[in-house]
Amino acid sequence: MQSLLENTSLVSRAYWLVRLRWVAVGGLAVATFGASEFMGVTLPVGALYAVSVVVLVYNLALYGLLRYWTRGAEMPSQARTGGVLTFQISADLFILTTILHYSGGIENPFLFFFAFHMIIASILRSRHQSYMQATLAVVLFGGLVVLESIGGLSHCSLEGFAGHGLYRDSTYVFGMLFVFTVTLYLIVYMTTSISEQLRRHQEDLEKANAQLREKDKVKNEYVLRVNHDIKGHLAAVLSCLDVVNGEMLGPLNDGQKDFVGRAHRRTTTCLEFIGALLKLTRMKLTGRLEAEPFPLKKCVHNALALAQNRARDKSVTLSHQMDPGIDMIWGEGVLIEDTLVNLLLNAVKYTPPGGRVDLEVRYESDSVLIRVADTGIGVPESALPRLFEEFYRADNARAAERDGTGLGLAFARQVVERHGGRIWFENNPGGGSVFSFTLPAGPMSSSSAVQ
Amino acid sequence: MRQGRILVIDDDPDITDAMSVILENKGYEVRIAHDSDQGRERLKEAKPDLIILDVMMRTSQEGFEFSREVKQDEQFKDIPILMLTGVKEKKGIDFKSAAGDKSWLPVDGFLDKPVKPNVLIEKVQDLLSSPKA
Repeated sequence: MQSLLENTSLVSRAYWLVRLRWVAVGGLAVATFGASEFMGVTLPVGALYAVSVVVLVYNLALYGLLRYWTRGAEMPSQARTGGVLTFQISADLFILTTILHYSGGIENPFLFFFAFHMIIASILRSRHQSYMQATLAVVLFGGLVVLESIGGLSHCSLEGFAGHGLYRDSTYVFGMLFVFTVTLYLIVYMTTSISEQLRRHQEDLEKANAQLREKDKVKNEYVLRVNHDIKGHLAAVLSCLDVVNGEMLGPLNDGQKDFVGRAHRRTTTCLEFIGALLKLTRMKLTGRLEAEPFPLKKCVHNALALAQNRARDKSVTLSHQMDPGIDMIWGEGVLIEDTLVNLLLNAVKYTPPGGRVDLEVRYESDSVLIRVADTGIGVPESALPRLFEEFYRADNARAAERDGTGLGLAFARQVVERHGGRIWFENNPGGGSVFSFTLPAGPMSSSSAVQ
Repeated sequence: MRQGRILVIDDDPDITDAMSVILENKGYEVRIAHDSDQGRERLKEAKPDLIILDVMMRTSQEGFEFSREVKQDEQFKDIPILMLTGVKEKKGIDFKSAAGDKSWLPVDGFLDKPVKPNVLIEKVQDLLSSPKA
């Protein structure tokens, strides 16, 4: 039977118990001091301080051990963590029994503290383990009070606090022990039944999540398959249209040329859309990034060359500014170049003739910042929350350019986030848009790689 | 005027037919094959100056395998191969090894599908005029 919590939470709970024990040790010392000095209770002060010191040393050793096991990124096995927790709880029961022995035994109201350990065991450990802990507590505490009662162990009376002689009253001792036992077992029963219900619920959620992920994967594979087939047909259509449109089979009249041209343009647009969707879906289906050092400088120049043609056709000025030190960075070059091309073509597309697009690439601490600023139509406030969503296009973008996939920015975000970077939008102070993204310059740590 | 003879291998007949019109229009002589077996036959009988090869035919590997086969044949190893790829296929190709290790993927050029006629012609001219390895 598993615990309610997963291993990482169990490890943090092991540390949590250590922290609580510091407080308990401090509490014990303060209570001993207060009770003996101010309340006039007679206590074997030396023994109690000695216990405090022993527990202090024990806790320090435990802390060291935990640190040793959890150093680096590696976690101890679930079994080992569980073992540590069981040991801690059992050891605490011994410690508490020892403290009670030196501070009045059955006369000390701190005996209720056994309840805490029952609750902790029931949540952190299995049902079986929890009942074992309850039994251990009953045996330890029962043994203590019975032995003190019949004189097998010395009894330290709490003179000045509780009526002495109570520990020798067998009716009281057995009555108390009975209630004590019932209470501990009931706590374990109630707590484990609730925590087990929670655990089942959690398992159901995990199962449902796994199913959702599987369904999403099936959906993506379906999209990929359908798109791939459509793309094959469209490529053939376009090739045939190229032949007619290029007048390779004889000249066309103006009407024919017009309509074949339209068919050609629509097919091209459709292919662009299919291509973008294929790229995005493929990326969603491949789990990990195939990151390696690649020449960012070359990617930037390739992307610029591609966008430059489009910018020239449209009389948009495209300029760039790059840190001279920019060269190799870590990531998947093909994807980064695609992202750059997307952003640059977008900027050119939504910038009216005479406007300008500026690309800036520079180091910023341990990452590379890439900014594409334009003097185009900008993004209205209302479109901002959905800007990077798949298939979303802002109203003004739709009005300015009928054709567009609504996938370019979604793709860019996927790529950037997979690299452990960030992409965002700002208004260009002079009007227009600024899209910026960061990429880690060096190898990614495992924590920053997404998914 | 004999510009050169080109063997086009693609399993899509619409693509091969369109491509042959585009190439013939520029004065090339075109032979067509729709799979590796036909490709092998045409190769022997036509002795082309260039092969245009689709990366994906019946299986996703057929194009690769065919190109390797051609380059291992003493008789044909000097014929340049232009490979047509899609994005997906491209991702599967390790371009560093493709450039550095000719025996692994022995092709002389790549073009993305669908190919624009002028881009195709440019690449074909380029490959036919470059000195043979």
